[in-house]
Amino acid sequence: MSAEILKVSGLATSYGKIEALKGVDLRVESGKVTCLLGPNGAGKTTLMMTIAGILQARRGSILLEGKQLVGLSPANIVTQGVALVPENRLVFPQMSVRENLLAGAYQRNDKVGIAGDIERMYTRFPRLRERSEQLAGTLSGGEQQMLAVARALMSRPRLLLMDEPSLGLAPMVVADIFRIISELNRDGTSIFLVEQNAHMALQVAHHFYLMEQGKVTFDGTPGELAEDEVIQRAYLGTSRRSDP
Amino acid sequence: MIDFVQTTVDGVMVGCSYGLLAIGFTLIFGVIRRLNLSYGPSIMVGAYLGTFLYVQFGAGPLLVAVAVVAGAAIAGIYVERLCFAPMKGGAGVASMVSSFAIWMQLEQAMILLLPRHTYAFPALATGAPWEFGPFTLRPDQLLMLILAIATGIIVNTIIYRTRFGTGLRLVTSNQIAAHLVGVNVRNVMLGAFALASAVGGFAGFLVLAIDQQVTPMFGMWATIKGLIAMMIGGLGSVPGAIAGGLVLGVIEAHAQGLVGPQARDLTAYLLLFLCLVLRPGGLFGKAPEADGAFSSRST
Repeated sequence: MSAEILKVSGLATSYGKIEALKGVDLRVESGKVTCLLGPNGAGKTTLMMTIAGILQARRGSILLEGKQLVGLSPANIVTQGVALVPENRLVFPQMSVRENLLAGAYQRNDKVGIAGDIERMYTRFPRLRERSEQLAGTLSGGEQQMLAVARALMSRPRLLLMDEPSLGLAPMVVADIFRIISELNRDGTSIFLVEQNAHMALQVAHHFYLMEQGKVTFDGTPGELAEDEVIQRAYLGTSRRSDP
Repeated sequence: MIDFVQTTVDGVMVGCSYGLLAIGFTLIFGVIRRLNLSYGPSIMVGAYLGTFLYVQFGAGPLLVAVAVVAGAAIAGIYVERLCFAPMKGGAGVASMVSSFAIWMQLEQAMILLLPRHTYAFPALATGAPWEFGPFTLRPDQLLMLILAIATGIIVNTIIYRTRFGTGLRLVTSNQIAAHLVGVNVRNVMLGAFALASAVGGFAGFLVLAIDQQVTPMFGMWATIKGLIAMMIGGLGSVPGAIAGGLVLGVIEAHAQGLVGPQARDLTAYLLLFLCLVLRPGGLFGKAPEADGAFSSRST
């Protein structure tokens, strides 16, 4: 086993009386892309929001390189080096692209470093440079997703969480997003990705988990995932027509 | 014509403090997306504290101003901690009702401190009105105008030029996204209440210094004027708050000039009614639930 950056054990989160996570155990390896699959309502977004500190865990632990994240404020978790690209992107719509990037660096004080990072983001995402002064709310869905990723990277995270980055995007744009994911990973960022698009995820991820009804029901390598009959049917659509 | 100009000028002077009251209201609305009914009463706490120092110890206008602003800010923090911080999303009605309860509590506490119906309040500046041909200008009103504009500029600087202001704009734009980029949302909310109540407190000080008297109705009065000016300008918009305040001030002044003092408040409510029917989003707002108030740089 190689070093793990994130270890989640026995994690439970509830909305009132409804338990959305019922004891989740998983680990994200350092420098790798780990992907979490699962149907709508399985608790994937709840898990992401709990790791980011927006939702409070009822029990269990979340260790980032051994440091407990449960109980820390969302701002504190960002300080620890975790950044979440949320579902539906949540850019700041009335602010320009540049202001959104600056917002991503809210906790940093090194003006020179921030300016350098913005320049790096513009190089990685050329569309953002073109739209630099445009309001984020007027960008296309794909551009907003790029912006959400770039904004998260502005905090220089050690672990990048991504919640369904391909949601609602055209196939071309989805391919772009996955190319960026593998580039980011090649540059050394550990990534924990929630996806419903298993085909695309198979191209980038080193390890897979499947979550159903608040529990992890599969844990394996891409090879094992591709061989699992149930997953094949539900997520890869190889044997029968099915709705992923 | 001369009367018309004179009345308009008078209205602008008063309208400036309405605008400040509305700025405070709108800052709070921006971050919590709820009405804080204890906003006016928080200002009243400051006003009564200032009055107490004036009546008991003969404090000068400067000290009274500091006391009013500080008292209002502390009361604002109290309201936030007691009433809004414990209420997580979804409990909108509960926090609004509890802000109503705190309104009553604060008002009664102040009446216990100063039980008479009316107390004197120190004047801002004394001196005979200046005459410009047919027009007159009261020095205290001019001073109020200048101070109100200066306060507006300071608030604008805080919102657009400080780290706290950036946090405030991010929370206003999208609270969850603000969490995710590392803004300490709890602190920003507390700061927003303190800043809003301090601005409201200063507006209250200016108004009271012109009237030179304070009554227990002041909290209610501040809530209503601030609320109407905010609704006219558009929820959650700082330029809208100033515009709403000016419109309210000028129209009230004309109503008083044409009909008499009894028409003043009546006109304010009528204006609110017309505004809600004809332009529910206000002059500058898109719609009542419009997102992302004052997050663009267009001020």
